Amino acid sequence: MNGLAHKLVQVPPGVQCFVGEEARRRRRIEEAVVRVFEGWDYEEIIPPLFDYADVFASETLAAKTYSFLGRDGSLLALRPDFTALLAKIAAGRLADRPTPMRLYYSGEVLRYEPPKAGRQSELYQMGLEHLGGPGPQADAEIVAIAAECLESLGVNGWVLALGHLGVFSGLLAGAALDPASLDRLRERVEAKDPAGVRQVMRTTGAPVAVVEALVSLTTLAGDREVLDRARQALAFSEPATRAVGELQEVVGALTAAGLGSHLAIDLGEVRGLDYYTGLVFRVFAPGLGFEVGGGGRYDGLLARFGRPLPAVGFMLGLDRVDLLLERQGRSLAVSAPRAEAARGGDLGATLRWARERRRAGSRVRFEADGRTP
Amino acid sequence: MSLTVALSKGKLLSGAEALFRKAGVPFPAGDTRRLVVETGGLRFLFVKDLDVPTYVEYGVADCGIAGRDVLLEAGSDVYEPLDLGFGRCRLVVARLRHARGTESASTVRVATKYPKLTAAYFLERGVSVEVVKLAGSVELAPVLGLADCIVDVVETGRTLAENGLEIEAEVADSSARLIVNRASYHARRQEVSRLIETLGRACA
Repeated sequence: MNGLAHKLVQVPPGVQCFVGEEARRRRRIEEAVVRVFEGWDYEEIIPPLFDYADVFASETLAAKTYSFLGRDGSLLALRPDFTALLAKIAAGRLADRPTPMRLYYSGEVLRYEPPKAGRQSELYQMGLEHLGGPGPQADAEIVAIAAECLESLGVNGWVLALGHLGVFSGLLAGAALDPASLDRLRERVEAKDPAGVRQVMRTTGAPVAVVEALVSLTTLAGDREVLDRARQALAFSEPATRAVGELQEVVGALTAAGLGSHLAIDLGEVRGLDYYTGLVFRVFAPGLGFEVGGGGRYDGLLARFGRPLPAVGFMLGLDRVDLLLERQGRSLAVSAPRAEAARGGDLGATLRWARERRRAGSRVRFEADGRTP
Repeated sequence: MSLTVALSKGKLLSGAEALFRKAGVPFPAGDTRRLVVETGGLRFLFVKDLDVPTYVEYGVADCGIAGRDVLLEAGSDVYEPLDLGFGRCRLVVARLRHARGTESASTVRVATKYPKLTAAYFLERGVSVEVVKLAGSVELAPVLGLADCIVDVVETGRTLAENGLEIEAEVADSSARLIVNRASYHARRQEVSRLIETLGRACA
């Protein structure tokens, strides 16, 4: 770089700007995904960019939420996710709508991220929520829609890793774990660290069967047969067995629908425990080291807004989809068509000609030089 | 494409080599200066020990070997399916013999190579802390008055003793771990689980 740039051209960490080809690529991805959402008869919802901070009061996102004081002294926040907003709207503005409601969104969320490579503060999410529908049917529908999005984007080798939080919480029902131990346990299960799980549980006085079952969650991952193994390993726990049964029903339906080869089971997937209540899934694909998106069932959230409804949803991160497609060499990029130049000294005449070409559907670059002939 | 394994050329290298040889998994031979070595169907990356979790978290490497101390400091989102058993050490708080205990101080100044983990350790216990980040020879800091105490790894405790330090508290146990990228674990399931099983049998 030569010389010093003007002070005002600096960018704050965490923001990005897309130009031309990049912007076009992102639009194409969004169009492809939205077409799938519309195809499954979901209705678009464009929620506000900010709302009362209380709406977003999720434990995991609290530290990442940009909040600020409104002029009237109320605490407001820039949306750090869509799901809480949609739940609020479903319980308020759409309170009279019959269920199930099928809603989708596409837009930016804002999250504070400490300046670290690869993390943006502004993320573009495309997702949908199925509110008030019966369990396994809605779960299967959501996962099938996620699958179609990946197919229609042309992603190679994608895998949906499915778990069920009812397994973990079912095993812990009755074991009175203090919040700090629960946190450490969840973190060790998530890391698939059997020795770590054992170490956390050592001081809790939980029954051996429960400890062994929690340890087994770190290895209950793989093909469908994992669910049979899980049924045996967790048979002593009624709620955990029920959760495995629910997952089995959904996996059975998805397999019958031809998606079997894209499914993986992961009963150690316990992220978002303060939020998800049932099925959870993550989308992975070769070429990207982290998930492209994911979702799950969150039956507790709508009650916060006074309209208890079961709910399930998922979202794809546009930034991640774009990166993945680029790494796989499958970007949806198209270059802009060539433009016709509208040139001439007579401003009025050239403009008239340009408008005619536009009406005929041409891409026109207006280059009149404005000098009267 | 072959699986990529990130290793550090630091203190865990000999243990890693012994384990791979015992498990019958190919390992790059001899002292090479190359940073990427392909051998017997695996691609090895040689990086700095603190960077191993980063390479694995971002998926540049599918697997890696890192000490639990480094994982605690990096806070990376990776799977840790195997405790490999070698490279055992303890992360401890140590101070000069006969020095006042840190529990009575209002703010403790701590020298360490592990700033994040150190800050979290003291703050969780309700102690205000000032962390002085050093890249090495941490034991010198209390001797020269740069810090009240240190947080560092000890194996035998000899270096501590030779510098007039003693252990005040234990922060964590550490040993070498096999770490795996979350996407690779699912998207390259068969190769990854074969490696986990092979290494798991060798270190059992």
